Amino acid sequence: MLKKLIILFTVLGGLAAGGLVTLLLVLFVARAWWSTPFEVGPFGGSPEQPIEYPHTIHAGSGVLLLSDGSPKLDGDGNELHGLGLDCTFCHRNVDKGESAGVPPVEQCIYCHKVINSDEDLPEVALLIKAWENKSPVVWERIHRLPDHVRFVHEAHIRYFTEPGNTMPSGEQAIVAANVCAVCHGDVGNMEEVKQVRSLKMGDCVDCHRDNGAPTDCTTCHY
Amino acid sequence: MATETINHKWGMVIDIDRCTGCQACVVACQAENNIPLNTEDRFRQRRAIEWIRVERYWEGEFPNIKARFIPILCQHCENAPCEPVCPVYATYHNNQGMNVQVYNRCVGTRYCANNCSYQVRFFNFWEPVWPESLKNQLNPDVTVRSRGIMEKCTFNIQRLRKAERVIEGQRGERITDENLKEGNFLPACVQACPTDTLIFGDWNDPSSKISNLKEKHFVDGGRGYKLLGDLGTQPNVIYLKKVDINAEHKVDAHA
Repeated sequence: MLKKLIILFTVLGGLAAGGLVTLLLVLFVARAWWSTPFEVGPFGGSPEQPIEYPHTIHAGSGVLLLSDGSPKLDGDGNELHGLGLDCTFCHRNVDKGESAGVPPVEQCIYCHKVINSDEDLPEVALLIKAWENKSPVVWERIHRLPDHVRFVHEAHIRYFTEPGNTMPSGEQAIVAANVCAVCHGDVGNMEEVKQVRSLKMGDCVDCHRDNGAPTDCTTCHY
Repeated sequence: MATETINHKWGMVIDIDRCTGCQACVVACQAENNIPLNTEDRFRQRRAIEWIRVERYWEGEFPNIKARFIPILCQHCENAPCEPVCPVYATYHNNQGMNVQVYNRCVGTRYCANNCSYQVRFFNFWEPVWPESLKNQLNPDVTVRSRGIMEKCTFNIQRLRKAERVIEGQRGERITDENLKEGNFLPACVQACPTDTLIFGDWNDPSSKISNLKEKHFVDGGRGYKLLGDLGTQPNVIYLKKVDINAEHKVDAHA
C-alpha cells in the first residue's frame, strides 16, 4: 500500500515538474517568436548603462520631466525642453557606413568641457573621469543582430531621405532622425532606450518587399 | 518605386600563362574571408579550407621539367551541380550570376561538396579558433562560419555590395573595371595577384576587360577554355591556357 502511494506521488511529482518545465519552455519560445519582444524575467528591457545618458535631454524636444512627473524648471521658473539634436550629430557614422557607431568620449567632451563641466552632475562627472583616465565608456548594446546579418545604416538613411521616396508610414523623411525612428522608435523621448521592433528577418523582408528593395539572401547574409 | 538595379553578372578570367604559383591569392583570400587556420594535421586529413588554391603539376622528365600552376576557385557555374542537391536550399544562384552559400540556412549535409566537380566547397569540421594575436585581424564584414556548415568562394560579395552602395548608390555611376579597382572593391585574390593572372569583372558590361578577353580567346585557335567544360556546368570563370613556345601544336597568343 505504502509502496503504491510512493509510486503515485513520484509519478504525480514528475508530471508536475515536467509540466512546469514545458510551460517555461513554451513561454520562452513564445516570447522569442512574438513580433514585438515582451519582457519575461531578465529578458528584454533596458540593461543598466555605465552612465545614465539621457536621450531626452539631448535628442528629445519635448518638456523635460522630473522623476515624479512634474516638468523640470530652470531658475526663472520656465519649463526646460530637450535640445532636439539630430541623431547624426552624435552617431556620425550612421549616414556614412555600415554601423551607426557610438560616439567616442572625446566627442562628448567637445560639448561637456564647457557645458555642465563644473556643475555637480554625477553622470557628467563620470564622463569627465573617463576622459581624464583615457578609458572608453563601455556602453551596453541594446539593438543587436546575429553575426550572419549585415545591416547597413547608410543605405537605408540615404534611400529614405532621397526626395521622392516615402517612408513605410507614407511620410517624407526630412532628416535622418525620421528614418531612425522607423526601426528604433522615438528614442529622443525615451528615458531608457528600449528595442521597440522585433528586428527579425520577417520584419526586414516585409519592409524590403513593400519598398521594392532586393530580397535576395545575399543582400544581408554573406 | 522600386530601386533601379543594374544587373551584373560577375565573372573571372584566369590567364594561366601569367601564373607564377606565388600563392598570394591564397593568402589574401584567407585573410579577407576569416578562414580558419589550416594546420598541418588539417591538410593531412584533407579538411583544409582554401577557397582558392593553386594546383601544381609537373610536366616532362628531369632535367627538362616544368612546373605548371593553375589557380582553382569556385567556378560559379550557371548550371551548378551543387545547387539541386541541397535539401534546404542553402546554396542557390542569385541574380548576379553567383553561386551563393547561405550560412544560416545550411544544415551541413555536405551533399553539395560531394557533387561539386571542382572540389571547391569546404566543410567546417571544427569550430574556428584563432590565436589571441590574430583576433583583431578578423574581417568584420564577413560572417565567421561555425562548425557544421559549408563554405565556399563568394567573389568577395561584401566588397561588391559595398561597391554597389558607394558607386551606384552614392555616386550614381555604373560599376566599371576602373572604379572597381580604384575603390578597392575587387576580390582580395584579384587585388593581390602580382601578375594580373586573375581578372575580375562584369560579363554584362561589354566594355569590361573580361568580356573583351572572352571575345578574343573563345575563337578557333584562341586560348580560352572552361575547366572541365564537357561536364556542361557552364562556369562563370574561364581560363586562358598557357602559351608554350616549345609545344608541338602552337597556339597563337594573339589570335
